[in-house]
Amino acid sequence: MKMAIAWGCLVPSRRSLLGYEAATRKVLEHLDVEIVDVPNETCCAPFWMQSLDIATSRAMAARNLAKAEEMGLDMLTPCSGCFHSYKRVNHTIEKYPGVHDQINNILRTAGLRYEGTVEAFHLVDFLYNQIGLDVIQSKIVKDFEGIDLGLRYGCHMLKPHEILNIEYSERPTFADEILEGLGATSKQYTGRHRCCGGLLRGTEDDLADEVLRDRLIDAKEADVDALVTVCSLCHIQHDMGQRIIKNKFGIEDLDIPVLHYPQLLALAFGFSPKEIGLQQHTASTASFAAKLKAGAPVEGGGK
Amino acid sequence: MTNMGQTDEIRTQRDDAPIRDEDVDRAFKYEVANQVGGEGLLRCLKCGACSGGCPVGAVTDYRPRKVLGNVLLGLKDLVLSSEDIWMCAACFTCEERCVQEVNFTDIVTILRNMAVKEGHAAEGYLEMAKTVVEHGRVVPMTFAVNKMRDKLDLPPLQEPAMDEIAKIIQASGFDKILALYKGRDRT
Ligand code: SF4
Ligand code: SF4
Repeated sequence: MKMAIAWGCLVPSRRSLLGYEAATRKVLEHLDVEIVDVPNETCCAPFWMQSLDIATSRAMAARNLAKAEEMGLDMLTPCSGCFHSYKRVNHTIEKYPGVHDQINNILRTAGLRYEGTVEAFHLVDFLYNQIGLDVIQSKIVKDFEGIDLGLRYGCHMLKPHEILNIEYSERPTFADEILEGLGATSKQYTGRHRCCGGLLRGTEDDLADEVLRDRLIDAKEADVDALVTVCSLCHIQHDMGQRIIKNKFGIEDLDIPVLHYPQLLALAFGFSPKEIGLQQHTASTASFAAKLKAGAPVEGGGK
Repeated sequence: MTNMGQTDEIRTQRDDAPIRDEDVDRAFKYEVANQVGGEGLLRCLKCGACSGGCPVGAVTDYRPRKVLGNVLLGLKDLVLSSEDIWMCAACFTCEERCVQEVNFTDIVTILRNMAVKEGHAAEGYLEMAKTVVEHGRVVPMTFAVNKMRDKLDLPPLQEPAMDEIAKIIQASGFDKILALYKGRDRT
């Protein structure tokens, strides 16, 4: 299988997010998915840009889609913000032909055109629906038994389901199924589906802190070995933001490792924590890596 | 823009007095409803399900229903100059739960776009936009980043297509919007 991939702005350039890219590349290669980076990728102009001027945002998102279309490939992305932007453009084009013309009138000045033929996939949905749990399980060499995970679906991979069309967002299960398929327990807990306030970061910082504090307390009370995120903003909030919340609100022993979803798969496939950047996260992942190491490898496994 | 994010601060509307005819712009709701994504506005029952699920409402007195109420009343100036429309975290929970398919989050986008044209853009978002216009990405590419990437065996970051970005923002008119804010200091 061959896919175009858009990494977004944050994933390939933030210290604690580089592991997201590293793990994604390793996992996809291991699963025989060939990826081609969108040539000279530019910002997908997500919700904050939509807030300033949605017409500009749509054209900017369509720029990367047009590049995938030129290559005749569908588009994959690990970032929920990018995913949302691309799905929104496709949905709007379909529903409002006038907007399609508007986008192409703008793109034409840059020598581009987008017909609307590129399907956009979020990495996690792609793993579940295009690869399948059985294939993923056939590659496991490390069992996650005894590991409790707190999965964060985040907002922009699922909501609104009318546009994103993966699963209804109130009680999704697909991403849990893969984690459970690795042998881990994906814990249900209060607040796991609520927003982390990521989009308020940088513009309403106090508010972003207040919302995040609630999410981190939820996770702390759930007593998980690690949180797992599928979105760059969710990771920035829960991982980098943890220190802010700890200091600002005086919450002691707030030390929850926050992993990127494909990092779990990479570890299960036998890649080392170091290869997938676990040491680069802001909240230490050492306790998680130690617990994983203590667990027994799958019988007859080995990479 | 003042910080009104704290729970212990009690906010009131700018005027406590009853709403008067001269504050009301009767065309406002149609102006919003006639835009792409705004069609659901006139279906709002003001039932409050949106406010009930709002994560920002859980920590402040921000309420999406209140914003909708003010839009439907026609309080154009109040709505477009208020901080409220910038307090939505775009989690889409309200949009997902609304039985009337009002799509409040899309309405927030419309209101913000209108506010931006009147000079009320949130500074934080403006800064991000300026970075993208200048560097093609919200995080500029640096030597240090490529060094970290190299250590993880990742290929060097590509140069973003700056020529295309420049043409896109010109054709969409975004350069003119940014010009509105030129010379303005970050507050
Ligand atoms: S937007 Fe929907 S949920 Fe909110 S008050 Fe209106 S009808 Fe109710
Ligand atoms: S999208 Fe905005 S208004 Fe709606 S529930 Fe989320 S934060 Fe609240």
